[in-house]
Amino acid sequence: MSNKITLIGIFALVALVVSFMYFGSGSTESAPITGNVVAGEMQKVVLSQTDLNYKDSIVQAGKPIAISADSSVAGCLRAPSFNFGGKKYTKYLQSTNDVLELPALEKGTYTFSCTMGMGRGKLIVE
Amino acid sequence: MVFCSRLQQDEIVRRIRNVFKQLKKTISMSFKEFTKELNGNRVEGELVKTIFYSLLTSVIFLAVVYFFKLRYIENCVPKYGYYLLFSGLSIALIMPVVRQVRAYKEMACMSGMMVGMTIGMISGFLLGFFTASTNGMFIGGFFGVFVGIAIGVWNGKCCGVMGAMEGIMAGFMGGLMGAMTSFMLLNDNNLKLAGIISFAISAVIMFGLNFMIYKEMKETDRQRKEDHMMTVVLTFVLIAITTWLIVFGPRSAIFG
Repeated sequence: MSNKITLIGIFALVALVVSFMYFGSGSTESAPITGNVVAGEMQKVVLSQTDLNYKDSIVQAGKPIAISADSSVAGCLRAPSFNFGGKKYTKYLQSTNDVLELPALEKGTYTFSCTMGMGRGKLIVE
Repeated sequence: MVFCSRLQQDEIVRRIRNVFKQLKKTISMSFKEFTKELNGNRVEGELVKTIFYSLLTSVIFLAVVYFFKLRYIENCVPKYGYYLLFSGLSIALIMPVVRQVRAYKEMACMSGMMVGMTIGMISGFLLGFFTASTNGMFIGGFFGVFVGIAIGVWNGKCCGVMGAMEGIMAGFMGGLMGAMTSFMLLNDNNLKLAGIISFAISAVIMFGLNFMIYKEMKETDRQRKEDHMMTVVLTFVLIAITTWLIVFGPRSAIFG
């Protein structure tokens, strides 16, 4: 087997996998949030810091959430990052007026962290 | 300027130019010989085939795993497909050097140190990078470190303890560096592009290493002749562990 044929084989293998990834997998990114959104009922959550992590926050299920951070939150913890089934929500909350909006969530405990992955917290949905 | 006349200065410049000309000529000649040897009968003639066999092993493994397991996981291909593909390509990039080093068995200290350092660094960096993209800094970093050190030491010991030590150091650094790079790019929305760029640069480095080994060892006969079983087995082990980690492994809090 000459090198030319081998190289064609290598490119064919890669092309096969790439084409399968884009056309043949049959699944697409779907909205991961299944909770019911209640319009106009945004619940506010103010994050605060304890030691080098976030304090746990409790919210209600089925209502969209507005996250802000008080002055105790410092450094990279001012940029919380949430990941719900592969969809990411993150924002740098520079001042106490900045808000990160999250969709309504189902009951459960959702872990989150700062964008650097250093400080962690729990969002408990009841 | 006080100590040498104008004539002496010209002579020095001329000699330096001659040295560079000679060096350029030597390297370009060796490189031509190397590209010719890629179709030859030495171990260099098997490098492209090694990439092919390694990639084929990864693709077959992923196809089988997809058929029996991954297709039942929601959004598995959009979420992990890219990283699994590039992990397979990264392993295919490492295998030719492993084969070349094994073929020559023993090398001089300098060459062996270069082998241990480069292969440890690149294998740790690439696998750390792609694993950390889906699992976070800890899992990606230390998976990269373990793979980098293992492959670095295994190949670096062709020259003795110095190469092995270089392998440990480079694997340790490369694994953490790869994971850190991908983890810090997570929120930049350019992670996949960064993966392609890192892979391309690593490919150039590995090709350079193939050339260096050839240049150092072209006067030496092959010490070990083997079939492609080692490539297939090693690829299978690496892609199996990587796939398990990427799809089922523990994740950092940032991934939910």
